[in-house]
Amino acid sequence: MPWAKGEDFIDLKERFRELQIEEKPTITALHIPKSDLIELLKALKEEKGFKLFLDHSVIDFPDKKPRFQAFYILYNVDERKRVIVKTWTDGELPSIEKLWFAGKWAERECYDMFGIKYEGHENLVRAFMWETYQYYPLRKDFPLEGYATEYLPSLNEVLWGDNLQGLMNYDKMHTPVPTLEDLEITEKRRLKKKAQIVLNWGPLHPGTHGTMWFLFDLEGERVYQCDVILGQLHRGVEKLAENEMYNQFLVYTDRMDYLSALCSNQAWVVAVERLLGIEDLVPEKAKYIRTMMSELQRINSHLLWLGTYALDLGALTIFLYAFKEREKLMDIIEGITGARLTISYPRVGGVRMDLPEGALEVIKAFIKRFPKELKEWETILSRNRIWLRRNIGVGVISKEDVYFYGLTGPVARGSGVPYDLRKFEPYDAYGWVEFDIPVGENGDVYDRYLVRLEEMRQSLRIIEQCVNVLERMPKSAPFFAESPDPKKIKLSLDGIGLKVPEGEIYSSGENPRGELGFYIYSTGGIKPYRVKIRPGSMYNLCIYPKLMKDRVIADAVAILASLDPVVGEIDR
Amino acid sequence: MEGVLAWLVITIIKILVILGIVLGIGAYLTLVERKVAAHIQRRPGPMVVGWHGLLQPLADGLKLLTKEDLFPRYGNRFLYNLALVMALVPATLVFAVVPFGPEFEAFGIKIKPILTDVNVGLLLVFALGSMAVFAIALAGWASNSKYALIGSMRKAGIIISYEVVITFAVMGPIILAGTLSTYDIVQKQIEQKLWYIWLQPLAFVVYMFAMLAETGRVPFDIQEAEAELVTGFTVEYGGMKFGLFPLVEWYVEVLSLSAIAVVLFLGGWSPINIPFLGFVDPLFFLGPFSPYVWFVLKVSLLFLFVLWLHWTLPRYRIDQITETAWKVMLPLTFINLVLTAIVAPLVWR
Repeated sequence: MPWAKGEDFIDLKERFRELQIEEKPTITALHIPKSDLIELLKALKEEKGFKLFLDHSVIDFPDKKPRFQAFYILYNVDERKRVIVKTWTDGELPSIEKLWFAGKWAERECYDMFGIKYEGHENLVRAFMWETYQYYPLRKDFPLEGYATEYLPSLNEVLWGDNLQGLMNYDKMHTPVPTLEDLEITEKRRLKKKAQIVLNWGPLHPGTHGTMWFLFDLEGERVYQCDVILGQLHRGVEKLAENEMYNQFLVYTDRMDYLSALCSNQAWVVAVERLLGIEDLVPEKAKYIRTMMSELQRINSHLLWLGTYALDLGALTIFLYAFKEREKLMDIIEGITGARLTISYPRVGGVRMDLPEGALEVIKAFIKRFPKELKEWETILSRNRIWLRRNIGVGVISKEDVYFYGLTGPVARGSGVPYDLRKFEPYDAYGWVEFDIPVGENGDVYDRYLVRLEEMRQSLRIIEQCVNVLERMPKSAPFFAESPDPKKIKLSLDGIGLKVPEGEIYSSGENPRGELGFYIYSTGGIKPYRVKIRPGSMYNLCIYPKLMKDRVIADAVAILASLDPVVGEIDR
Repeated sequence: MEGVLAWLVITIIKILVILGIVLGIGAYLTLVERKVAAHIQRRPGPMVVGWHGLLQPLADGLKLLTKEDLFPRYGNRFLYNLALVMALVPATLVFAVVPFGPEFEAFGIKIKPILTDVNVGLLLVFALGSMAVFAIALAGWASNSKYALIGSMRKAGIIISYEVVITFAVMGPIILAGTLSTYDIVQKQIEQKLWYIWLQPLAFVVYMFAMLAETGRVPFDIQEAEAELVTGFTVEYGGMKFGLFPLVEWYVEVLSLSAIAVVLFLGGWSPINIPFLGFVDPLFFLGPFSPYVWFVLKVSLLFLFVLWLHWTLPRYRIDQITETAWKVMLPLTFINLVLTAIVAPLVWR
């Protein structure tokens, strides 16, 4: 079990008299009053070994007093245990920035979305919205359609008048959008200029791999300080999740980390299945198919990373080589699922459809040829002197930093922390297949590069084993679970009417970019009450300003590409 | 009087021929580069305009010429345009001292296929080469953009470091030939029956490095570094003005420096050399055109070598480039100088 046991915390009970331990099959929670929160977190971090910070957010209960329930999810990497710490507040919380830097970013997000004030937070600015935005969108009393306060007619309406009829006649009042002045205020709040020039890197810049906005304070070419402005791709996925059915929300997970849609789908589906308690009912075939498809997607995602990474360092040819292989993978995925980018192939209870005829042969042909290609690229890059000089010793992340900044995925593994949820908390068929976790030694950019390359090889191993099992399965084997009690749990491919009992769960999957976790709080019914998504990319990015200190601009692309963030997941 | 008139006519013809060839080839080298790059990257490259994309440079030129001419706000318009001139003119002027072949006689007049055979030809080449830094610094400064400024400062840093290196690298051939005139250097190599690359391999390697750095080719293309600086100092230029910088840097300069490399190390227009013994000419059937073909062949080989590197390697960082220049390349050239001084009497005889 991934959750810590209640008896682990018995000794803490003497020190914290008001500590309550709640043990459920899906979660282990420690309830503590706000005043003792920091002490407890400190004790957990330093004495109990819960060093890795996973996530922090709050749940809004407008009818209760105090109104917000805050939760902190921590992980003990050595003993593979997870715990959640909960407290109640009415709008103020002590900041945990001294304990975990990642908490700083999580707190900024809470401040942005719920209006929670954090005492002792060094730089409490909004995470996604601009500074002059007045509302807190994730509060329950914020309407789904927003407050339409701005008069924003379209160009056609301005030029030709309002002559559209019926459904085409949209409302001309819209929710506020940031003006240039707003963005300027936001920028000023983020970074106090100390050096020579402030270089705006983004929001649209080829090196940022998406719509991120970096501010570099430069002394010549040396970066004196750096900050990030997020939110250009913010779509309020968490708000949407509260208003969609469980299977409807599946398509939004595609659009978060759009490069690894299948892995995100799988993480969400597994989370809901665990909450329903039907993880064991999912047929073996569906589990193997899901695992195989996610590993294909992982290779696909790593290929895009390799291509853009090489491109950032000037090796354009590798980019085209990688994309050629990626195209083949896309074709395989398209042939099996019908979609290339936003896939939504898994479903709660199985997969959408069986494998088409010949799919396994195509995959077998791919895994036979792909290692040769990989080897060829490695001969071009891995021992290349220029490549080594650009990569070795750049962006070094120590083991302590991994915990302090809440890093996961290949970034954590590159620094020698073998944190891989496929091994630590096997979901689907990962418990039944053999593979290794590659870890780096120095934690620099080069190690992360090697780790990702090796991960592709390990993915191939997993796919090979899955293909072998799937080949031996009869064609008539079920690929969708049958509900034990259709009155209670209604499982169907479209997922309409799927009711989830009261409860909560934090379940996560190993995405190519880090841990994608879903904290689902259900009060029963067809929609979740609150979904907090733990975006691996966002916490991986939060170390970036630290890594960039005293480096030159040319390293900015190398370090950023080695962290491999995807803005869709950061902003949600 | 008649002599002066003939000289004037011949010079004008030479200028027109050289300009036509250089700029025409420069434009068409874009196609060559795209085709080479495409085949390295396992794709066909431009295929639509003309047979195998043969008319692509014309289409590109037309497109660039018809684009809107944008000018950045608060930029300096005079310097902005001056940068273009400063980029194009010195780079093209280098061809004035490139000898394309041996002296020949037409209509009773002896003609050297070189525009001006000045006795300080090489000095002129490197003087003009260092003028390139002005163009880039001006372009970066006048466009009033931080990206452009950083890009141009990087490039200025590189050029200043590698100017020193390249000057010391060509010292070896100059000592061996005992002259600074490009035409005479080739003549000396033919007389001594020796391509200087056989005695100056170190200098040749260093020269090629410096050439890549000066022309901003991979692995030294940090002034454009499209991932970090978008396109560096050209970011605020549009249309043909934008097209001119890569044309000058990547094609005209690479061509001129390759031509100088051929003159210095590969014996100019002479055919294949067996050191100290003589020359073997498999292209003897071309008669008087054989030297020109040899010259073009050597230059294209060097150019293709540059392209090959460009589409294979990643790029260095600015501090690593300048570090290599001062800490590795410069000492190497000094060693080469000492070695040359020891072997030079052998060659002089």
